[in-house]
Amino acid sequence: MTRADLVAVILAVALLPVLYLHFWSGGGFAEQVRIQEGNQPPHYYSLARDQRIRVHGPLGDSVLEILHGRVRFVSSPCRNKICVHSGWLSRAGESTACLPNRVSVQIIGQDPRFDAINS
Amino acid sequence: MARIPLAPFDWRRTASRMAAVALTLALAGCGNQAGSVYQRQFFAFGTLVDITIYGAGTKLAQKASDQAEREFERMHRSWHAWHPSDLTRTNRLLATGQPFTAPASVLPLITLGKKLSDQSGGLFDPAIGRLLGLWGFESDQPPKGPPPDPKRIAALVARHPSMDDIHVEGSTVSCSNPAVQLDFGAYAKGYGVDRVIAGLRKLGIRNAIVNAGGDLRAIGRHGNRPWRIGIMRPRGPGVIASVKISGDQSVFTSGDYERYFMYKGKRYHHILDPRTGYPAWGTRSVTVIDRDGARADAAATALFVAGPKQWFATARRMGIHYVMLIDKHGIVHMNPAMAKRIHFETPTPPKVELSPPL
Amino acid sequence: MTAEDPLPTPAAPRTDGYPEPESIRTTREDHRIAWLAALAIAIHIAEAALPSPLPGIKPGLANVVTIAALVRFGWGTAAWISLLRVLMGSLLLGTFLSPTFMLSLSGALASVATLGLASRLPGAGFGPIGYSVLAAMAHMAGQFTVAYYVFIRHPALLHLVPILMTAAVIFGLVSGIIVLMMLQQMRSPQS
Repeated sequence: MTRADLVAVILAVALLPVLYLHFWSGGGFAEQVRIQEGNQPPHYYSLARDQRIRVHGPLGDSVLEILHGRVRFVSSPCRNKICVHSGWLSRAGESTACLPNRVSVQIIGQDPRFDAINS
Repeated sequence: MARIPLAPFDWRRTASRMAAVALTLALAGCGNQAGSVYQRQFFAFGTLVDITIYGAGTKLAQKASDQAEREFERMHRSWHAWHPSDLTRTNRLLATGQPFTAPASVLPLITLGKKLSDQSGGLFDPAIGRLLGLWGFESDQPPKGPPPDPKRIAALVARHPSMDDIHVEGSTVSCSNPAVQLDFGAYAKGYGVDRVIAGLRKLGIRNAIVNAGGDLRAIGRHGNRPWRIGIMRPRGPGVIASVKISGDQSVFTSGDYERYFMYKGKRYHHILDPRTGYPAWGTRSVTVIDRDGARADAAATALFVAGPKQWFATARRMGIHYVMLIDKHGIVHMNPAMAKRIHFETPTPPKVELSPPL
Repeated sequence: MTAEDPLPTPAAPRTDGYPEPESIRTTREDHRIAWLAALAIAIHIAEAALPSPLPGIKPGLANVVTIAALVRFGWGTAAWISLLRVLMGSLLLGTFLSPTFMLSLSGALASVATLGLASRLPGAGFGPIGYSVLAAMAHMAGQFTVAYYVFIRHPALLHLVPILMTAAVIFGLVSGIIVLMMLQQMRSPQS
């Protein structure tokens, strides 16, 4: 075993806890997405199945898309389209909403990365 | 060439040690807080409200959320700035100049509003309702531009509506400036969240987050770890920073992305500078951490208007201890105490300018 | 023994008007690569029969041949062995040009490139253990990158990265130790 070997092994082993921290720190397995329209009981959809979901709100239909374990707003009848611009959600605890159309979307899973989002 | 001698039986021990370490790491990653977290979302108060309760039974948590929802609905109805409400009635009476008895739902906000406005040096001022109305921010339809006639803006600013023009004696209120019109938008969420938290406490709940459209107050902890709060970036999707909360703290952010319209490439948002009558343009967002929601809310507004040059002095005046301001160039201004608490979640941290200690 | 052992050329000239074929001269190095690659392929195929707990986790024992070749005969030989192993292994297993093949190939390319860099580093250099760990990690990283970006960009896959890299480090160390012991045995055959 050379000195270089030892350095390589030490670095390799030291890298492992970093990987665990990075890839396993909260926002764990995102299993489902909770979609709620207005104050009606929410619906849960599995993120394992690619699908499009149409939600009927007071302004019209918002369309959400589940693809490759992630979810996003594809379209919404609101004016500023903040919901659409918030992009893909993939980790547990992440959420977005179309306030004007009263559609809220949140990823449910183990150990959400954040308990709440301040915006 | 340095060679480390091979000891004959090292390898098995090392291998099994490493396997143990790897296994432990793997198992540690699998652990999660499987404690009782109750979460409910509902649309109320003109926004999406999120209630998170830890460590209470489901029945109590449900009862508490129902109570919170009713409370928010009540406040929304009482303080609505343009639908007929206790507030619109109050505004009509204020405009007469005659003393009257303020409705019970409105009086606390007037007294608190006066105090906070004074502390902020007038940068936070709920009396500028007319200005907000002129810009179109007091309507069910979001405004779309063009901006109002500068002469009309100047005329209103010249009349200088201010909380100082309102006089309170007991529950009797009068106003010496007919240009005054109250709009509680800049601190209603804070006050509402404070009220709901108090209600939860009365029910015996010790660990909860009440999040009204992104502005929140959290009490207690998430079991044996603090609450983890993510802060959205002002431009673009995603979380820019996170902060840990325990005990009793509010996190409030005022941003230029909440209510705005674009006109000819310029963003006109709803956080108006009472001195100019125009949106405060030097800032993209301000995040304040403070115990009370109302104070945090008002301070976030005032500091937004103060901008990158004046925020420090204003925060000092208002007795605020945690501020993060993101200016129009995307530079983050913070005081050292806030910098210690903020953890940036972006792969490359933004440019930060630290102020002296607050 | 001479360095080059060319095959004998044909004795009689052709009468059908076609030009003489050029004689193929195989060198000692070619032979060496050939039998080492064959060894690696054999191990690779044997290993393919083993069940693996997760896709992408194989002990990678064929790497033992690659690393041993790297240390004894240099990077060029090792690179050939590695690539031939992937190519021939997939042809023999019937996985040529399949996603499995793509993954194997990307892993092999990544580890070969890493070994190339590592062997050029100035100073005392690595021994079999260092090379083996580096190669194993590069192999896993290469495979995962292709798996994630080309095939399934599912966020749950990212959850596997720490486990896969842990396995890579472990198997890299084990392979490296095996190579070390092998080479020591070869150098001093008396026990």
